[in-house]
Amino acid sequence: MNMGNDWMDAAHSTGTSIMAAEFDGGVVIGADSRTTTGAYIANRVTDKLTKVTDHIYCCRSGSAADTQAIADIVSYHLNFHGMELGEEPPVEVGAAVFKELCYNYRDSLMAGILVAGWDKLKGGQIYSIPIGGMCVRQNVSIGGSGSSYVYGYVDANFKPKMSKEDCVKFVTNTLALAMSRDGSSGGVVRLGIITEKGIERRVILGTDLPKFYED
Amino acid sequence: MTSILCPEIPKPGFSFDNCQRNATLESKGFAVPKATKTGTTIVGIIYKDGVILGADTRATEDTTVADKNCEKIHFLAPNMYCCGAGTAADTEMTTQMISSKLELHRLFTNRVVRVCTANQMLKQYLFGYQGYIGAALILGGVDSTGPHLYSIYPHGSTDKLPYTTMGSGSLAAMAIFESRWKPDLTEEEGIQLIRDAIAAGIFNDLGSGSNVDVCVIRKGSVDYKRTYDEANKKGVRQASYRYPRGTTKVLDTKVFTVEETVHQLETESMDTA
Amino acid sequence: MSSIGTGYDLSASQFSPDGRVFQVEYAMKAVENSGTIIGLKAKDGVILAAEKLILSKLHETGTNRRIFNIDTHIGMAVSGLIADARQIVEIARKEAAAYRTKYGTKIPVKFLNDRVSMYIHAYTLYSAIRPYGCSVILSSFDNDEPEMYTIDPSGVSFGFHGCATGKAKQSAKTEIEKLKLGNYTCKELVKEAAKIIYTVHDELKDKNFELELSWVCKDSKGVHEKVPDSVYSDAEKAAKQAMEADSESDTEDM
Repeated sequence: MNMGNDWMDAAHSTGTSIMAAEFDGGVVIGADSRTTTGAYIANRVTDKLTKVTDHIYCCRSGSAADTQAIADIVSYHLNFHGMELGEEPPVEVGAAVFKELCYNYRDSLMAGILVAGWDKLKGGQIYSIPIGGMCVRQNVSIGGSGSSYVYGYVDANFKPKMSKEDCVKFVTNTLALAMSRDGSSGGVVRLGIITEKGIERRVILGTDLPKFYED
Repeated sequence: MTSILCPEIPKPGFSFDNCQRNATLESKGFAVPKATKTGTTIVGIIYKDGVILGADTRATEDTTVADKNCEKIHFLAPNMYCCGAGTAADTEMTTQMISSKLELHRLFTNRVVRVCTANQMLKQYLFGYQGYIGAALILGGVDSTGPHLYSIYPHGSTDKLPYTTMGSGSLAAMAIFESRWKPDLTEEEGIQLIRDAIAAGIFNDLGSGSNVDVCVIRKGSVDYKRTYDEANKKGVRQASYRYPRGTTKVLDTKVFTVEETVHQLETESMDTA
Repeated sequence: MSSIGTGYDLSASQFSPDGRVFQVEYAMKAVENSGTIIGLKAKDGVILAAEKLILSKLHETGTNRRIFNIDTHIGMAVSGLIADARQIVEIARKEAAAYRTKYGTKIPVKFLNDRVSMYIHAYTLYSAIRPYGCSVILSSFDNDEPEMYTIDPSGVSFGFHGCATGKAKQSAKTEIEKLKLGNYTCKELVKEAAKIIYTVHDELKDKNFELELSWVCKDSKGVHEKVPDSVYSDAEKAAKQAMEADSESDTEDM
């Protein structure tokens, strides 16, 4: 029985704010934590930063089911490849496998993914794979419905080779701004700092988010 | 070039030939047959020693209550249970199928199956059917790594959470959890919280009703409390509403004689030749 | 190796009672009948050199090469049956191309080596087919690191600083061992490679041969190619001079 509840039948999707930025020595990735079905928040503490290998993570936006499935499959391929190669695959390879899936199944997938990580060949890297399956490397990249509000902020404030803490601050500010303007983004800010040593995870609670002119 | 010797090869893949016809029929007022969906409240929490699952027991067919006391907490493995909302047939068959796979996996590996394995199997199965299997599930269990609780959506996405609700009554139930859940609840507090969340669904959601089923999963033991509570018991009648004899006054009496005639039927022996 | 099969050498899928697979050993014999090929690893790259025997004066020079490009950064020198070898080259090229499309980057030669040796090994397992009658050397220079591998008809493969297969592999290996490989740059090593091929060539048994030289190194920007003409002629000249000096010293000795 369907009583007109859009949140019962609506596809489970992550109207999202995600981003990644290179800094001196690695990358910072970040995301909000809101998962929505229609107008209902199905999960307010979601983790959209998903591990692929020890040094490669992805930020997921679009359909939760699709992006989780893709991340699982890519994770399988890269771990298999890592075993054959005897070392961790480079980020570039990770992005290529994501792209292959996103492009080949572009008609049936709704997925906008940022692949970010660190490898010994090229250091910190970010690859953006929007809907359609294109793949481009960027120094800084934003994604999801909330990103539209903060392109200007990113363009004005990103600087190559920032220090780690400056970069963390920059990502936190960008996401806080995106989440405050985008209805389908919100909750806490989840961060990941990927360097040679692996990942360092951080959470910034809703109460600790940076505030701007409003108050 | 089609001939009997060389028949045309049908196009591979799904056929969408009937889609337009169906859309036309629908627009002209032909009602599309519907699958039974359990308008449901199902919930789960993690407490100090494990996981507690809860469910109402109403099954609906459109606006009719099809079953007043159905079971929505399904067995998956001795250490794992799964609440189902959505299409009743789909939740039932999906959990049975995965349950059988988990048992085979247990026999192969000689280990207690982990909850994340069940989650992975369920999500891959549902993702494969792209949402056409209408099963929304809450998976709970305890394994070597501790208690785990997942919610699984029909399209195959999953969330790992400390407390979760699903089904049409999920909003009412979530309101209870959001105000009262905290880490390390005792078993009594946990069960009470589950009962209240399901009761909130039963009282505030038309699709949910009847009784509260509860299932407590601890490390090494399970308590399946079928009909833990009848949330909205029918009230007991305070007085008899039967009219006593003679309530209606007899105004007049008339007696008729009825003539009866009896015809004897000749019995005839059956021809057994 | 000289023992006779006594019926256990008819199939690659059967062991002899003392645990050998004769078909594979015969395949190695086929390699020993072909011209010598060597590979030398320098600080900044890898050199491949081949002694291509000329069987007829009518052959055009520069054809029927024994050194191939597999991918931009990978080269392969082959010894043994050339037709078999071309098939190995083909599958190595396919493997490298497939890796590029699947993973978007150049194939690591370690990975390619694993795949090609698995393929060659598979041909030593079945009764209906014969093993490949060739050995190959893979060279690569990727991410500023020179790498070199050889694969035998048995499917066994090893990484090497310097290696040789073919007719004169023993004497070639002796010559290579005399070099301090870690001290050379590719430019210097080309001459040594040419000298070795000229030294180990047996003029009595095989009249003519053509020297083939390739490198993949810093100077070639990580691309595997035959060495530039000027480098080639310098190397050849140096080799011939060394030979003459050698023969003069020989006569003096007499």
